[in-house]
Amino acid sequence: METLGGIIDNYYYMVAVILFVIGMYTMLTHSNMIKKVIAMNIMDASVFLMFVSVGYAHGSQAPIIREGAEIFYANPLPGALILTGIVVAVSVTAYALSLIVKIYRYYDTCDYDEICEIRSQE
Amino acid sequence: MGVSEHFPALIVVIFFITAFISPLLYRWGRKFSAALVIVTIAAALGMTVSLLVTVQQAGTVFYHMGGWPPPWGIEFKADPLRLFMLLVVISVSLWIFIFALRDLQHELKKRVIGWYYTLYSILVGSMAGIVLTNDLFNLFVLMEICAISACAIISIKEDRECLEASFKYLILSAMGTGCFLLGVVMLYMATGYLNYSFLHLELAEAFNYYPRNIFTAAALFIVAFGTKAALFPLHVWLPDAHASAPSPSSAMLSGVVIKIYAFALFLMFYEVFPRTLLEAIPLNEIILWLAALGTLFGSIFAMLQSDLKKMLAFSSIGQIAYIFMGIGLNHESALVGGFYHIMVHAVTKAMLFMAAGVIIYSTGVRDIKKLAGIGRVLPITMIAFTIGSASMVGIPGTGGLISKWFLAISALEIGRPVFVIVILASSLLNAIYYMPIVINAFMQQEDFKKDIKPVPRVMLACLVIGMIFIVISGFYTTPVVTLLEQALALYF
Amino acid sequence: MPLSDLTRSRGGKIPIDDQIVRITSRLVVPFIQVYGIYVILNGHLSPGGSFSGGAIFGASLVLLALSFNLEAGARQIPHHAASLLESGGALGYALTGLVGVFVGSSYLANRIAGFPMGQPGELFSAGAILVITVFVGIKVASTIVTLFYYIIEGEK
Repeated sequence: METLGGIIDNYYYMVAVILFVIGMYTMLTHSNMIKKVIAMNIMDASVFLMFVSVGYAHGSQAPIIREGAEIFYANPLPGALILTGIVVAVSVTAYALSLIVKIYRYYDTCDYDEICEIRSQE
Repeated sequence: MGVSEHFPALIVVIFFITAFISPLLYRWGRKFSAALVIVTIAAALGMTVSLLVTVQQAGTVFYHMGGWPPPWGIEFKADPLRLFMLLVVISVSLWIFIFALRDLQHELKKRVIGWYYTLYSILVGSMAGIVLTNDLFNLFVLMEICAISACAIISIKEDRECLEASFKYLILSAMGTGCFLLGVVMLYMATGYLNYSFLHLELAEAFNYYPRNIFTAAALFIVAFGTKAALFPLHVWLPDAHASAPSPSSAMLSGVVIKIYAFALFLMFYEVFPRTLLEAIPLNEIILWLAALGTLFGSIFAMLQSDLKKMLAFSSIGQIAYIFMGIGLNHESALVGGFYHIMVHAVTKAMLFMAAGVIIYSTGVRDIKKLAGIGRVLPITMIAFTIGSASMVGIPGTGGLISKWFLAISALEIGRPVFVIVILASSLLNAIYYMPIVINAFMQQEDFKKDIKPVPRVMLACLVIGMIFIVISGFYTTPVVTLLEQALALYF
Repeated sequence: MPLSDLTRSRGGKIPIDDQIVRITSRLVVPFIQVYGIYVILNGHLSPGGSFSGGAIFGASLVLLALSFNLEAGARQIPHHAASLLESGGALGYALTGLVGVFVGSSYLANRIAGFPMGQPGELFSAGAILVITVFVGIKVASTIVTLFYYIIEGEK
């Protein structure tokens, strides 16, 4: 019962982990390359969600230091890390998509199994 | 102090500055583009050496970006071990780049060569950053830069195999990064820090309260770095990627890039996680057995290949496992062996890929069976290949023996003779697939009947430098071993 | 049918050929661009910053290219100019960081390196951060445009 209560209290971690597993499973098992890229984004987003929920502190303010005031500042580290993570995810996605465009020109398909079939016939 | 104070940051930054100047320069002054990269790498090498001298006299140097002290700011750390890694990375990349100057003109379209220089300097810069950083946040960013630029120097060739291989590499390495980031979140949850030194202090206490978080983080880190460094069951991307890339890229990826991740895993185990964790769960044991399987299976897979570069790529899986074995044995002299192997294997594998590159450049042959009699037409190349193979097998007089010797001795010292047998068996397996190539190349009577393009002198000179280094590292081991023993003493 | 094939079959023209789309986007684009610049410049004061602002600015140029045709969009920001801005933006960031080294404090130093700080909460405050934000904004905007063109046209 205690475990269940813990899970219900921390449901946001659970959601993030479930999303992570969905993303990883899709990324490794689906043969469509576009779906792999989408799954990669789901996986990254789940980690960002988790980090946001870890970094949230109730009643805290943005960490811009104002002199002479006692304010409870939030740690800027999770925010900075997630922003960077988003940028990195965008660039990896763009690169992966441009690779897919080029692979499509050679094979006329985005499906990895079909590509293997075409290659084995040659 | 002056400017030398800033060397830890400058070593990384100058590569990025060069990377962004070189496309501008390539538009107007094409000739200077390559010279600029060479000057940059040489400057970084000089800074590393001077930093190493400083560190040996005055102890570890810390550098705070923007003047912000940790745990808020990004911290760079220069201790003897990191500088040893940096020295290997930068000098090997300088050597490979000089080789690449001539080889790329044959393998790439003229239009993209300028971009290759950009990617190359970004890759070297990010690796230098991974080695120097003392912060998980920074490590994550630099690892992604390294992964993307490593994929890009494969896909720049733009034929089908390269594109597919680099897509596979990209997806698996994105999976690795996802796992790494989740592990970072777990550690942040438990402690609230991302700086290695602070994490190390805080985790020792947090381990009592949140053991599950820290176990999960450790498992995720093994998956993440194992994928990126091609530890045995996670190696599936490596053969395609390293075999299809242009030869200088293969040399770089197989020689240096995968070792950086092995080094990062070492830092996680010895600088971030507390000793109590390593005693509580058999993490070292897991790595050790995976490595033992890797040395054997990498060699067995390599035997089955008919493509020269693919065989070399599979052989890398077997050889990187020695480095993991050094980490897994958790003993000082085993780590000396592991790090010595990082240096020797970086040079040896890079040289073997260069030799393969020269063979492809001058004859266009990639099939192992068709190489019979090639030793008569390309003598220097095949002598280099012979010495490289000897070092892979571990024949006395080459550097490969020294690292295996250290590993075997420490396995005996801690009472695990099984691993001595594993090392011996894998050396034998190495001999089974390397030696026939060498013997066929020199002993076959039939003449080599293909057209031969003359090989540029620069490429041959690079091979000769590699040969000399491998032989020297087999005899004159004292300076490096003393340096490593001093550096590793800080961790025990 | 992927976009690249559509463009090829219609002689380089994007299939959207609609009066309403053109006029709406012509009206909307200036506002998007001003908003993008606002977000870049206020990066140190409010949520947002160089990446979000640059992405908004780049998206406006992509919208132009999509609603008219590729040639008209390409005229807005030519290929070589985009790649120049890309390298220039990143270079600007790195060199701003080096100022700290020349002044004698550490890399990427801000207040210690003598950048004027200004009043907190005003537009021209926070020293080097504003400079870096602008450089990164330029870099991101031009990168988004080049990415779009590379994916849609491929190699010529």
